[in-house]
Amino acid sequence: MKTERSRMSRMSVSANSAFLMVLAAFLIVFPFFVSDYWIDVCVFWGINVLLGLSLNIIVGEVGLFNMGHTAFYAVGAYTAAILSQRFGINMWVLMLLSGVAAAIAGNVLTAPIMHLRGDYLLMVTVGLNEIIRITLINNPFGLTGGPNGLIVLDQFRVFGRVIQSPIDFYVLVWGCVALLLFALFRLQRSRIGRAWNYVREDAVAAESTGINTRWAKSLAFMIGAGIAGATGTIYATKMMVISPDSFTFAASVSLFAIVILGGTGSIPGVILASGAMMVLPELMRDFAQYRMLFFGLAMVLMMIFRPQGLWPSTRWSTRVKGGDAE
Amino acid sequence: MSGSRSARLLVSLALLALLSMAQFARAAEPIRIGLQAPITGPWAYEGEMARNSVQIVADEINKAGGLLGRPVEIVLGDDQGQPQQSALVAQRMISEKVVAVVGTYGSSVNDPAAAIYERNKLVNIAYGSTAESLTTHGRKYFFRTCFRDDRQGEFFANFAADTLKAKRIAIIHDNTTFGKGLAEAARRPILAQGKAEVVFYDAITPGERDFTAILGRMGRTNPDVVYFTGYYSEAGLIIRQMRTLGIKAPFVGGNAAVNDEFIKIAGIDIAKGALMTQEPLPTDLDYPESKAFVAEYVRRHGEAPSSPWPVYAADAFKVICAAIEATKSTNSDVLMNYLHNNLKDYPGITGPISFDAVGDREGAIYLAYEVFGEGDFRPRR
Amino acid sequence: MVFFLSQMVNGLTVGAVYALIALGYTMVYGVMRLINFAHGDFFMMGSYLGYTVLVTFLAAVGLPLWLVLLIATAIATLGVALLGVFVERVAYRPLRRSGRLAAVVSALGVSQFLQNAAMLIWGARFQAYPPWAAPDAAWNIGGVSVSLMQLLIIGISLMLMVGLYLFVQRTTAGTAIRATAIDHDTARLMGINVNSVITLIFIIGPALGGIAGVLLGLYYRQIHFTVGWSYGLKAFTAAILGGIGNIPGAMVGGLLLGILEMLGAGYISAAWKDVMVFGILILLLIFRPTGILGERVAEKV
Repeated sequence: MKTERSRMSRMSVSANSAFLMVLAAFLIVFPFFVSDYWIDVCVFWGINVLLGLSLNIIVGEVGLFNMGHTAFYAVGAYTAAILSQRFGINMWVLMLLSGVAAAIAGNVLTAPIMHLRGDYLLMVTVGLNEIIRITLINNPFGLTGGPNGLIVLDQFRVFGRVIQSPIDFYVLVWGCVALLLFALFRLQRSRIGRAWNYVREDAVAAESTGINTRWAKSLAFMIGAGIAGATGTIYATKMMVISPDSFTFAASVSLFAIVILGGTGSIPGVILASGAMMVLPELMRDFAQYRMLFFGLAMVLMMIFRPQGLWPSTRWSTRVKGGDAE
Repeated sequence: MSGSRSARLLVSLALLALLSMAQFARAAEPIRIGLQAPITGPWAYEGEMARNSVQIVADEINKAGGLLGRPVEIVLGDDQGQPQQSALVAQRMISEKVVAVVGTYGSSVNDPAAAIYERNKLVNIAYGSTAESLTTHGRKYFFRTCFRDDRQGEFFANFAADTLKAKRIAIIHDNTTFGKGLAEAARRPILAQGKAEVVFYDAITPGERDFTAILGRMGRTNPDVVYFTGYYSEAGLIIRQMRTLGIKAPFVGGNAAVNDEFIKIAGIDIAKGALMTQEPLPTDLDYPESKAFVAEYVRRHGEAPSSPWPVYAADAFKVICAAIEATKSTNSDVLMNYLHNNLKDYPGITGPISFDAVGDREGAIYLAYEVFGEGDFRPRR
Repeated sequence: MVFFLSQMVNGLTVGAVYALIALGYTMVYGVMRLINFAHGDFFMMGSYLGYTVLVTFLAAVGLPLWLVLLIATAIATLGVALLGVFVERVAYRPLRRSGRLAAVVSALGVSQFLQNAAMLIWGARFQAYPPWAAPDAAWNIGGVSVSLMQLLIIGISLMLMVGLYLFVQRTTAGTAIRATAIDHDTARLMGINVNSVITLIFIIGPALGGIAGVLLGLYYRQIHFTVGWSYGLKAFTAAILGGIGNIPGAMVGGLLLGILEMLGAGYISAAWKDVMVFGILILLLIFRPTGILGERVAEKV
């Protein structure tokens, strides 16, 4: 059993690295053959990958149902926008600050609700998402600009070059993805990563082996929220304008769907699924008003034919599966 | 037998298609103009009407021989009424090398796209985005054929104080960029003039149906007039629920409330007498262009466009074509300069069009409309 | 006091609609542990079907109004129930063994599909129920205005909820539902056809949603293809508030949510209303982690 498992995980490691190599090759060659528009599609794909990976830590690694992830993304984006407008802080510093702000929000907001089980946690995170969005609309203390949102004029700079064109953002976003992937693979192999998986598989048993499950869950929320917040900074400079319309419940739902479509807990899965969610509707533009109809159908079909996700994770055991009861 | 017949039919169809393609290839390269609109999503209806309207103008131009001897072609971009989609559509328009863009409908959706068009120096003319903030960023390539919220807000302030003699005004908005913008734009001049006071100011949530609670609270402030700055769907519910609660103050809607559905939802007995601040509707315009346009729209789609916005889209398209024709150029800077400096009182469907230095349309005309017993909107006499 | 009573009447009306929809969420959840995100769209379809029947088929046939409304409601309810059964067969049944989350995504896909289908069938604009269909009568009782439609909505909802409760508690089919809710495999061993139970659930839940849809259309007269999404979220909140999987819980949650909303908007601020509602939900769950009445589904530790 033990050898079986380790062989499986070795196989998955090699499959993962093969996937990443193909992806890297594709991403390097791709921009030479397409228009700026498709590069831009890939920029948003990359942003969704960052968000999907950050949510995957919470949903996939620890098994906490978080359907309000854009709340943290919003905290990050607004922190960056407000600070850059008022104090003109360097964007890289801001990225760090908004990551920290979102991580703090992730910790403070979820601390009282960490003990809730699955679907209750899901509803509460949905509630948090709505609370944050409505607060942004209501423009408390004139900070958030209300429904108009905020203008972001500052941009990232790399060695004096202003990150502005689609290809600049493409490099920036996918560079961040590469860094995050490296960190995540390290994290999965670390003590924390293993603790997370124990908590997911059996919280009671994990507690009895000396893991502080509450701490493990909080940490996942903090790291996940922090990455989403830092991504918010990139989003803010990319869009140049942010408004509450970008941080809706529907956006959280589609992030959640990305993680599950990909295969819960699977990193290549998140990359593939966010690609599919981004690129499919673009390819369907010719269907005009029919395109979202087909997109809905495609989601159902994908789940029916690949219920474990596009790229199932071998590290996600069968315990949480089985539809009848928990 | 029948199989071979259909095969022959197919072959001849294919030949025909090839021939027409060859024909097409020989014709001049078309001039491509973008239309960014919400074709799906909650505002799909507005997007559809804008598309219909722009198509009418494009067909007319092509029938008359096109622009500079080339046909015009519409490049459609569906932004779903979402900011991120809007940014993507903008980038696609740039990659598709369109000459200029018409669009889009919602103000907060428009902002990211306008920022991208500006950076890429592409003329873009909004048709439904009326938020003041859009023309306060010093963008050179942004224009709009619709009017700004503050002009309408000012009109309401004067109308309420001078015509309706209101002393106590209640304002309700819907927390959208547009609705809140108009509400603020109305509140500011009321406070500044000091002829009346704003006794109630709060927001509803769009998509909900029951506003009795907020209306009940408003009723206790005894307003002389109620101004609702959101959309017709909620406006119809609000006036009906107001009357059910026994609030008799006159109801005034903003220009997003003008729609036949308003009367249907409220019911004619209740809607009768409701007032709206509004640009002249296409059907009330006396210009020959408007009459011809509305007639053509009715011929094609069986009814006149039910909101003013699609006609502004048609006008935006016309203005772009006029600029191309006049300058004999498709260069963005040439077009931008022409629109800012040389286009004066162009005869649009919605009246004469000129743009000021920031790209806003000059000479806003607002009227107070009233709902009459026959179930139609007419300018108040 | 008059103001407070008016808000209570309005809150009960809204809450009754939430409760009817919440029942559909809660029953499906109780039996399948599935958050059926498409449920709000069943409700929306009910609204539209009722509208079509009223406008196209019954407008010209001079039947008495109550009969017209009854027929329209019946057809809409039946249509939505069929749709529910069909959706379960096609989109959920193949996934029953493959994990709860897969079915959730499938439900999201169904929701997207139904919304866009409704947009294509009935158009993207708002549709209005014909004014002759909705009874207009209203009374003023000591300053509190109460309309016939409000009484109808509250009355019909309460009747349906009590009926459903008795059905689940007292009948053989109800016992089968309860047994299946506890454990599919044991239920199967006891000779219960789990598939039929699930089909039954997908008849009852959407049917209730369909009735709610028609009532909503008659009361507010205004329907749109996005209505399922906003009402679905509120109804789901109501189900969680009461304790998901728990039928009386859905009723209590729905009514409570309606009243909370109306009091919040009536006394404090409409713009901050939803913040208060979700804030109360979170506070409540902190102290009662399984809702007001708790979960009825058996726990396996």
